[in-house]
Amino acid sequence: MGIGTDRYASRGDTLLFLACVGLSIAALSLPPQWRDPLAQGLQQSVLAPFIFLQRQTELLAAARTRYDNVVAQRDSAALAAAFLPELRNENNRLRGLLGLSARLGGGYVSAEILHQPEPTNPLSFVVSAGRREGVRRLAAVVSPEGLVGLVASVGEHSSVVLSWAHPEFRASAIAQDGSVVGIAAPHGADGPNVWLLELQGVLYRRQVLPGTVIVTSGLGGVFPRGIPIGVVLEPSSEEKGWGRTYLVRPAVHPAALSHVMILTTPRPPGADLRNAFTTPQDSGATGEVPPE
Amino acid sequence: MRKTDRYRYPFMMTLLVVLHFTVRSHLGDDRVAPDFLLLALLLYTIRAEPGKSAAAGFIIGLLRDALTPVSFGAGALAHTLVGFFSSWAKAVFFAEHVFVRGCLFFAGTWLRNLIVLLVSGKLQSTQVAWELLVWSPLQGLSTALVGIVVLWFFRGWLSPRRPGAPTLGVSA
Repeated sequence: MGIGTDRYASRGDTLLFLACVGLSIAALSLPPQWRDPLAQGLQQSVLAPFIFLQRQTELLAAARTRYDNVVAQRDSAALAAAFLPELRNENNRLRGLLGLSARLGGGYVSAEILHQPEPTNPLSFVVSAGRREGVRRLAAVVSPEGLVGLVASVGEHSSVVLSWAHPEFRASAIAQDGSVVGIAAPHGADGPNVWLLELQGVLYRRQVLPGTVIVTSGLGGVFPRGIPIGVVLEPSSEEKGWGRTYLVRPAVHPAALSHVMILTTPRPPGADLRNAFTTPQDSGATGEVPPE
Repeated sequence: MRKTDRYRYPFMMTLLVVLHFTVRSHLGDDRVAPDFLLLALLLYTIRAEPGKSAAAGFIIGLLRDALTPVSFGAGALAHTLVGFFSSWAKAVFFAEHVFVRGCLFFAGTWLRNLIVLLVSGKLQSTQVAWELLVWSPLQGLSTALVGIVVLWFFRGWLSPRRPGAPTLGVSA
């Protein structure tokens, strides 16, 4: 059966087909100096709207990709900005530790706090220094701001620290000016004051003004004298026996720490570390000496 | 035939052309993505006589050659042959089954690529083998799939207009 039979393709169809084939072969044999202007002419006339359409589509796709990239960069920048204050605080804390180490002179070991996700982490946590590093049980754990807690148990390369927030924590305390003596213990009540300390056992006839800085007294031999514990806020509503109780805002919150220093060498009796620490400030502090 | 039918066919063809210049580049590898222009030509050949199909193929091929001037004329020749023989085969085989039409789209795509490769002579033998045995079949497959979808979606719009030809439908 021939292609040009009347049944399936008329003579006109065949002629048109042959003409198209001939033109195609002619186009194939065009020299470049004729071929390129012809192609350019078609591009700038018939194909111009389609090329424009394709270019706009590509631009749209590129714009969408760029938009996604910009959004991703913005999110990354926002994330970095969210961490910036934390990094600054950590930097300041590390600088403070360096300053504290210079002031302490020696007999300490620095350690990292191995935070855990449990909610009880601020009460008791593990630090990355143990017996091999010279840590001993009941050693004082401090930060540049003040007292953090004491070592409860010692492992080979790690230790468990009992922070001041632990219900069993107690420290012999004294006002910075030496006017009042008492026992610092966690407030431990429910509600907004749960992360506060109490200064217990203050003589009933003594009154402590808000803003008074409380430091360790050095009595009992566990904590050296002069480590800041906190600042007196107000008298507690609970009266215990013949003494007064005051609420104390702690100098440091364990959950906010990343590094601590553990005092490894017992300080000589009478040693005072007050000058080694940053004195806690309070807006309500009057600085007046409590009345005798 | 309803009044609106005269607009449906050009609308579908225009849609395929627009899809070719807008969507195709986002459908994956250029060697595999369906060829909407060739599909439009093959759909046109269902309704048109072989001579007109050859002319349409020549025009489409020439325009495509303008976009790839390195093998200027090869596309025109390939599309002319594909257009003519597609229309002729349609008349000879009288096939109205969707699978046969899918095979027609597949074979048309593969044949077009074969002619372009042979006529242009720009590729090495290994590349030609890869093109003919891997990429062209994949492109033919994707084009055939899109063609079947178009036939199904626009069924009734693509009825043959040649006298004596049976009504075009997706089912056998």
